[in-house]
Amino acid sequence: MAARLEITLKPELFDAEGESILRKASDYFNFSLQKVRVIHVLTIDARLGKDELEAIRREIFTNPVTQLSSYEPVARDFDWIIWVGFRPGVRDTAGSVAMEAITDYLDYSFSDDEAVYTSKIYQINAPELTREDVEQIAKELLANDTIQQWKIFPRAKWDEKNGIGIIIPRVILNREPTVTVFPLESDEELARLSAERNLALHPNDIPVIRKYFLDPEVRESRKKVGLFYPTDVELEYISQARSDHCNHNTFRGKFHYSDLSTGEKVVVDNLFKTCIEKPTLELQKKKDWVISVLWDNAGVAKFDDENNYVITGETHNSPSNIEAYGGALTGIVGVYRDPMGTGKGAKLIAGMYGYCVGPRDYDGDLKPRLHPRRLLDGIIEGVRDGGNKSGIPTPFGNLLFHPSYLGKCLVYVTAVGIMPATIHGKPSHEKTTSDGDLIVMCGGRVGKDGIHGVTASSEIYSEHTPAGHVQIGDPYTQKKMHDFLLEARDEGLIEFITDNGGGGLSSSVGESARFSGGAYVELDRVPLKYEGLDQWEIWVSESQERMTVAVKPENWERFKTLSKKHAVESTVIGKYTSNGKLHITYEGKTCAYIDIDFLQAGFPQWEFEAEWKSPEQRGLSEPVLSTPSDFRKLFHEFLSSPNICSREWITRQYDHEVQGTSVIKHLGGRRRDVPNDAAVLCPILGSTRGLALTQAINPTYSAIDTYWMIAATIDEAVRRLIAVGAQFDKIGGVDNFCWPNIQYDPINNPDGKYKAAQLVRANWALRDICEAYEIPLLSGKDSMYIDGNLPGRYGEKHKVSGLPAMQFTASGIVKDVRLCQTMDFKKEGEAIYVLGNTGDELGGSEYYCFLGYTGLNVPKLDPQQTIPLYRALQAAMEEKLVTSCKSINRGGLGVSIALAAFAGEVGAELDLGRVPTNESLTSEKILFSESCGRFIVTVSRDKRGEFESLMADLPVSLVGQTLKSRRVLRILDKTGKLILNEPLENLKHSWKKPFARLG
Amino acid sequence: MERVKALILTGYGLNCDWETAYAFEKAGADARRVHVNSLLWGEEDLENYHIFVFDGGFSFGDDHGAGVILAMKIKHHLGGAFNRFLDDGKLVIGICNGFQVLVNMGLLPGFEEEPGKRKVALTWNDCGNFRDQWVNLVVNKQSPCVFTSGIEKIELPVRHGEGKFYAPQDVIDTLVERNQVVIQYATSDFTPAKGRFPENPNGSLGDIAGICDSTGRIFGLMPHPEAYNHWTNHPDWTRVKQNGKREDPFGDPEAPGLKIFRNAVEYCENNLL
Repeated sequence: MAARLEITLKPELFDAEGESILRKASDYFNFSLQKVRVIHVLTIDARLGKDELEAIRREIFTNPVTQLSSYEPVARDFDWIIWVGFRPGVRDTAGSVAMEAITDYLDYSFSDDEAVYTSKIYQINAPELTREDVEQIAKELLANDTIQQWKIFPRAKWDEKNGIGIIIPRVILNREPTVTVFPLESDEELARLSAERNLALHPNDIPVIRKYFLDPEVRESRKKVGLFYPTDVELEYISQARSDHCNHNTFRGKFHYSDLSTGEKVVVDNLFKTCIEKPTLELQKKKDWVISVLWDNAGVAKFDDENNYVITGETHNSPSNIEAYGGALTGIVGVYRDPMGTGKGAKLIAGMYGYCVGPRDYDGDLKPRLHPRRLLDGIIEGVRDGGNKSGIPTPFGNLLFHPSYLGKCLVYVTAVGIMPATIHGKPSHEKTTSDGDLIVMCGGRVGKDGIHGVTASSEIYSEHTPAGHVQIGDPYTQKKMHDFLLEARDEGLIEFITDNGGGGLSSSVGESARFSGGAYVELDRVPLKYEGLDQWEIWVSESQERMTVAVKPENWERFKTLSKKHAVESTVIGKYTSNGKLHITYEGKTCAYIDIDFLQAGFPQWEFEAEWKSPEQRGLSEPVLSTPSDFRKLFHEFLSSPNICSREWITRQYDHEVQGTSVIKHLGGRRRDVPNDAAVLCPILGSTRGLALTQAINPTYSAIDTYWMIAATIDEAVRRLIAVGAQFDKIGGVDNFCWPNIQYDPINNPDGKYKAAQLVRANWALRDICEAYEIPLLSGKDSMYIDGNLPGRYGEKHKVSGLPAMQFTASGIVKDVRLCQTMDFKKEGEAIYVLGNTGDELGGSEYYCFLGYTGLNVPKLDPQQTIPLYRALQAAMEEKLVTSCKSINRGGLGVSIALAAFAGEVGAELDLGRVPTNESLTSEKILFSESCGRFIVTVSRDKRGEFESLMADLPVSLVGQTLKSRRVLRILDKTGKLILNEPLENLKHSWKKPFARLG
Repeated sequence: MERVKALILTGYGLNCDWETAYAFEKAGADARRVHVNSLLWGEEDLENYHIFVFDGGFSFGDDHGAGVILAMKIKHHLGGAFNRFLDDGKLVIGICNGFQVLVNMGLLPGFEEEPGKRKVALTWNDCGNFRDQWVNLVVNKQSPCVFTSGIEKIELPVRHGEGKFYAPQDVIDTLVERNQVVIQYATSDFTPAKGRFPENPNGSLGDIAGICDSTGRIFGLMPHPEAYNHWTNHPDWTRVKQNGKREDPFGDPEAPGLKIFRNAVEYCENNLL
């Protein structure tokens, strides 16, 4: 008999969660609620007696100081009740921890049909609200229908005795696992079946697949194991491996590029090979610190003589767009498995984020599934819980608002790890599987999570149908696994390790089996969350928190013992072989038998038409604008604009200091509330060597030319690293592309050829700039299809394609963290220098966007100009000549100097006539141009000579000084006229105001 | 010479074990990271240690109240051994999640008239969010706490979602009366914050950031001294450095966070070895 335990805070205690819902209801919908109290519900579906239930209520689940609890309804004096619980099959970590605790306390063992489920009751006082209003709160604030269910009770309909009743979201599938075979009558027939089953086989691949299975030799060998036609397990395996996500078919495609303005035509065969792989491998030959790139789950670079760092980045756009919290949480927790699965496994030392969403206050006609406000809140919270609960600092991140991301949001997540260079005398970045090694699955169990939907007919919806497709990451389970695997690694028990992400076992086993040359898997040994999964589902399920590990049979006992100690489930599901086959069985019967090298064999390359039109051909021009007469008002409103203003409310929610390694924090300055250019960590405690990390993203430049968007973005990341004190020669990069669909279609994607050309140009820039700056691409990923179809006012759907974007993550070695610098002005009476030329480059700038323009003159990077400057600045910092250093980024010199001044609470005077420029520029252009390669630096009076001699022959000028006693920003135009003289406090207030109440 | 041994708990979502072990090592202890199960299964004997450390993290995911499940587990399986450890005059420190564990075990405040009873709680921050920031802390010189001896004020980071110290007024009065309030959130001039946000980052009653038991040998605090293990951890170090001439801008021979650990090690050297 199930029991429902309700736990709530004592009435005299402040309910912070309730209060935050109250605030959001007002913020999102303008509803005024009087009071919200939250009741936590545990539905205990187990054969426990009254005394046992009472014991666990009292001893485990109720804090006598703060809480009240009862097996009777506890809600009193309310107008509405909203109950929200998970749909069946959704990961309920709190429920499983409750089971763990009950097991421990009562020595009770739960049988397979018993469980504990958590849910929440929101008790709302708001007499004015209608049922529709309450529905809206439930649907758009408290619950997400992809993973949750809810019920609403008005006061009048409340059952005092039974409350919400007993709701048990148990998965019951009631079906026998079945393998389906696919006849091979014709290409068309296979294509039809593929579509019907949502297999997503590419039409071009179908003849290759048919040819393989019809090959007489193949048929002969398959016959011996009882197979004839391909099974769904096999086709799912092929489909997963050939997917754009796993195989990067777009980047490996052939592009027929023509430049319509010059008539030039060129065929680009494989962007990945020519623009990413080749330059990086060449740099690897030159730079001995590049340890392992381009093949493993993450890149490996040398940190110091004993340690290597590991870095990679991912995106999790589509899932976050559907379920913001769960999608983002799964994203960050998922990317953390990449360093864990790199080489023999790395310890995680940092995570970072980048979000691109629609305007937070969007009130236009389009109806995105989740309003950007709710979407962003959910994403922020998902990454927060994923990072904080993993015990991994989140020291840096980005946020950009742009209406083009209403169609689909971008959620970038980056993971950094560290590992000893050698383990048991062997390089830790090397790994392989060998004939006879056991295939071990560690971590969570397998359910329908992340499995694409099959046809509606094969699954009838019921209240016990699992909410597949969407996953919720579980950092707690993964943290246990992380600690366990590091211990196993250090004991030398791991031969090979990789994570189960996209494609699940299909990818992890399929890829690791290529090393040994085969694998034998018994799917019936895979531990399941619930019965009734088909074989193919077990094989491709993306249930989270799992790693696949190769363990030598003689090490299995020890591996298992450690696994048990860490409360992690590890199961042998098969063994690696060398017979060239991927052989999968279920209860002794073969359900897949396929050549392991089949995927390498002759699949056709994807092809794209790419047509470039120059910005001028597209009709872009510079706006006709005169110099503003009210710079004061402009500064205040510009500093308050969404892409410039403070994001402290996000930064503070992220634990950026766990592990005790923090040297330069995301926020700095006198009040510790202004962002630094990069974060610096000391990952090896006791050492003063540091790792600087930063990210940049500038999609608005894509509206003009993606070549320069990429160039400017890489440069921004580099100059951010230089600004804190990283070494120019030891910078590694991670490129994360997010692009709209580039496949031309006259109806659905009429500008597909242009978008394809944008991608080609972006890759050319990536190649050119990385070659010039000698930045190896340690890792990178691409995420295509950042498009959405949004309903408008009249039921018509609008396709919204996101601006092409690349987030560039840069990592750099800091020789001695004690020489690092921050952006804030430190002292009165110091010289302020601007380094680097300012040009008439406001195309795509924040200033133009702010005034409603795109412009034409996008910032153009010239590495020959910037490299000598970066080296000179690095030398100046090493010589301790610099007292603050800020790279000039979004918003230009005007914003950057304001930030540096109010961060330090030190007044500053800036003479625009002395700023180094390429040509004669108006005041607003000097202030808001976003030319690359520039810094603001302060130098104390006694070091000026030394500094200036280091900077000789470079575009560096003394532009003003920090002021004695007056905490103002003074700006003089070229004629010496004072165009701004504003207290820093006021400027800072404007900058902090927009999101202040969210903190 | 025999060294003081510190047991740093690991496993089940705890996550400050590495830096806490490092801090204890720097302070002169022999620090061992020990998995919860190694203790419960008897692979490690409490008796061999002088200091027991409940470090920070999210034990058991914190889903049923921070520190609740770990407290239950330790009390349920290790109660006897733990009591012997305390009876031997040894030291216990709980940091962040560890503080939450100590109050849920009833070891803090540990009033003699009601031993083992839960009298105080650490509940959700008033601001409604997890929060990472540095705080100023003023130390009660009258407190018997051995960990803070000789320290008058200190700056440390807090990083938590459930750090609001809550207890009925009479309990708070007793804590104050008995000098069991060890550290309080303070303003920039190191006077108690009087509840003002963000100086008091979570709404803790009485600005209480850490308390000890009546002996001063059990100490729990929300801030993280182990995360101030080097002067470059301090958020202002580049500013302070610029304004002075020293290589080490704060002029401390060791990072202030480490003093708390050194006090513990020295106490054990003097009393337990």
